[in-house]
Amino acid sequence: MVNSAKSHDVPVDSSVPTASLESILCTEELQRRPSRRPDYEKENQALVKLASALADSPTTIFRTLAETIQDITQCDSAGLSLLTRDGKTPHVDGKRFYWPAIAGMWNPHVGGGTPRHFGPCGDVLDQNRTLLFTHFERRYPYLMPVNPAAEECLLVPFYVDGQAVGTIWGIMHSDRRKFDAEDDRIMASLGKFASSAYQALAHIEELKIQVAEREKAEAEVRQLARGLEAKVRRLIDANVVGIVMWNLEGEITGANEAFLRMVQHDREDLASGRVRWTDLTPPEWRGHGEQAVADLKATGMFQPFEKEYFRKDGSRVPVLLGGALFEESGNEGVAFVLDLSEKKRAESALRRSEAFLAEGQRLGQIGSFSWRVATDEITWSAELYRIYELEIGAPVTLEVIRSRVHPEDVSLIEKMKMVGQEREGGRDFEWQYRLLMPDHSIKYMHAVAHATRDQDGQLEYIASVQDVTARRLAEEARDKARSELAHVARVMTLGTLTASIAHELNQPLSGIITNASTCMRMLANDPPDVDRARETARRTIRDGNRASEVITRLRALFCKKDATTESVNLNDAALEVIALSLADLQKNGVVLRPELADDLPLVTGDRVQLQQVILNLVLNASDAMSGVDDRPRQLVIRTEREDDRARLTVQDVGVGIEPSGVDKVFEPFYTTKSGGMGIGLSVSRSIIERHHGRLWATLNDGPGAAFSFSIPRTPEGLARADGIRNIQAPAVASPGAA
Amino acid sequence: MESCYERSAIDRILVSVVDNDGSVRESLPDLLTQFGFAVRAFSSAEEFLASDCVDQTRCLLLDVAMPGMTGPDLQQELIRRRQGIPIIFITADRDMIIRQRLIEQGAVECLFKPFSDMALLEAVNSALHPK
Repeated sequence: MVNSAKSHDVPVDSSVPTASLESILCTEELQRRPSRRPDYEKENQALVKLASALADSPTTIFRTLAETIQDITQCDSAGLSLLTRDGKTPHVDGKRFYWPAIAGMWNPHVGGGTPRHFGPCGDVLDQNRTLLFTHFERRYPYLMPVNPAAEECLLVPFYVDGQAVGTIWGIMHSDRRKFDAEDDRIMASLGKFASSAYQALAHIEELKIQVAEREKAEAEVRQLARGLEAKVRRLIDANVVGIVMWNLEGEITGANEAFLRMVQHDREDLASGRVRWTDLTPPEWRGHGEQAVADLKATGMFQPFEKEYFRKDGSRVPVLLGGALFEESGNEGVAFVLDLSEKKRAESALRRSEAFLAEGQRLGQIGSFSWRVATDEITWSAELYRIYELEIGAPVTLEVIRSRVHPEDVSLIEKMKMVGQEREGGRDFEWQYRLLMPDHSIKYMHAVAHATRDQDGQLEYIASVQDVTARRLAEEARDKARSELAHVARVMTLGTLTASIAHELNQPLSGIITNASTCMRMLANDPPDVDRARETARRTIRDGNRASEVITRLRALFCKKDATTESVNLNDAALEVIALSLADLQKNGVVLRPELADDLPLVTGDRVQLQQVILNLVLNASDAMSGVDDRPRQLVIRTEREDDRARLTVQDVGVGIEPSGVDKVFEPFYTTKSGGMGIGLSVSRSIIERHHGRLWATLNDGPGAAFSFSIPRTPEGLARADGIRNIQAPAVASPGAA
Repeated sequence: MESCYERSAIDRILVSVVDNDGSVRESLPDLLTQFGFAVRAFSSAEEFLASDCVDQTRCLLLDVAMPGMTGPDLQQELIRRRQGIPIIFITADRDMIIRQRLIEQGAVECLFKPFSDMALLEAVNSALHPK
């Protein structure tokens, strides 16, 4: 029933005859009818009540208004109609009226309404005056369901800002009473209240919106502030730096834990105002502080600077601080304070270690330099300048370097530079070279370079250069003495090999003479025996070559020569020595038993020197057995592989050694032979040691002794000459010149 | 191998050479052949003793130092067997004392290598025609 009244404008159903407007109006009756006497007191009371209702509860004003209308006019139903767009809220551009409040019998119809252009309220607004209707449902059929029917309905328009926004109305549902002029007057007066009520409501709605928006804005700001505050708090509470709040009067108004710890004060001290900026600052730093204040006043901030603070106990802490005012021309600000103690400690430790390094370099006569390959930047340490006898700090160029390096070794430097540049991977290498000083003295240098990457990832070499002149000269002197000694030992050995040498040479010589004689006789025959003569001549030449070879070999073994380095097969070397000494051994009745290993690794060293050692051991063994008659004079020469070393042992069944003499025998001038000089074994041991091996003696289980030496095998790949790995200056005497 | 008996049919005197050195065994027989001798060469004393030439040998050219049975050992063995073969020692080791001892033991001569062809011939003649 109510729905039809709430719906859109109801099209006029032409099948239902509707009364004309004039037929339902009887407005002029108002003036004709006798009027009630006004009840001003009641009216006043009602108006007062209405006024206070307006003030107290704006949302129920319409209901109160409806009730007041009904009360004063003593009608059956009273209410308001307001223009609306959505049917729920007033809107001046509405195309409908809705009833926000109804008092009396029509109360159940609250919320209903009428169309703007076809209804009683519409008529009132169209005519812009009070209208009295009777049974308007005769014209407006949609009102028919609205019960009880309206016998008479008095409607009065009301305005807001000169615009009609609705009506107030009263309805009589029976003949009990008829509306009169008094009702008209009262309604008009109440119309004004309705107007105020409308405006008030509109105002309230607007206010509500504004308040809601402002609350929203405030909430956003609060949120923002909370967020910011949280972030700032995070910084402060993280205590990664000290944070202090202060004012320009010098007071400290707030500080985080980090700052308190730094200066060893507690919150109490600060809060009490006992501690001010100036109290914390040592006198010599006050000037900086004043400068900072001046900057604050001028620019609102001060740039970070270093100073010191007093701690509570009077000690000092080095700090870095920077800060700003909260507002440009304000009085309060904040500063960060960074504790520099660690940094200062590190700096001082660094200075100390730099001093140690410089001193160490000086003591060891070791200079150092760095070479940045890409830019060719070379930096020298002070000691290197001193070694080169150049002015410390002078720029280092290739010219400068060349002016000092020995002319014969300059190419080495160039080569090293090229190698350093092309080795993108960067490997460590070392080399030796000489300097030729202005006074023509020579210095020997030993350099070691380490490839590294600097902080930009660029290849850089850090090298250490040591002046090894003194050591080199001492080595050379020692080597010379040693080689003299070795020569003497060899000559002694030579003397003991007379039988062998004689044998080796006389065999081919004998062959030569015999064959030549035979040749002559064959050619003198009649007829000459040319073929067979030719054969004897061939043999002669062959034996001549044999003799020549023997001499060469002997020469090689006994000539004083510098040490050479080559790959040596100890088995072959031993066999040659055996061949050389065979005659003597046989003369001494020695029975040789070679036990040579098949898998003996090659060693690197001086073949001749190693053969001298083997010969020395063999002859010693032979001598040791010279008095042995009750058993075969067996001499075992054994080679065997020992992990990555080759071992050779010469074992005899002779007189042996005293247990205490097992090491003593290697001492120089130790001998049990009359007429012996006793240098053979000591020289042998030093030869072996120069080959990075060792030579030792052991007693057999039975009679006799065994002398063994073991030498490291040739490492893989080192048999090739890899000049880069170890660049040797050509003219420098190799160690162990013999 | 030719037997020594066949050789003697040509009426050449048999000289045996015992030396472990190959070049001696190569060169000496040719020279001796030029001198007109029949020659047999052996690489060891044992080989000589085991051969069938011992009785036929009229002169023995013998190396001193040999592995196994040495020259002097063979000399002693032949004395023991009462084989009176004249012995000329040949050696590369010029040791006068050893030479003296060998001659005392009955050797005709001890030649030091290298020796001339004439020295050899003289020695062989001495061996074949003792004074």
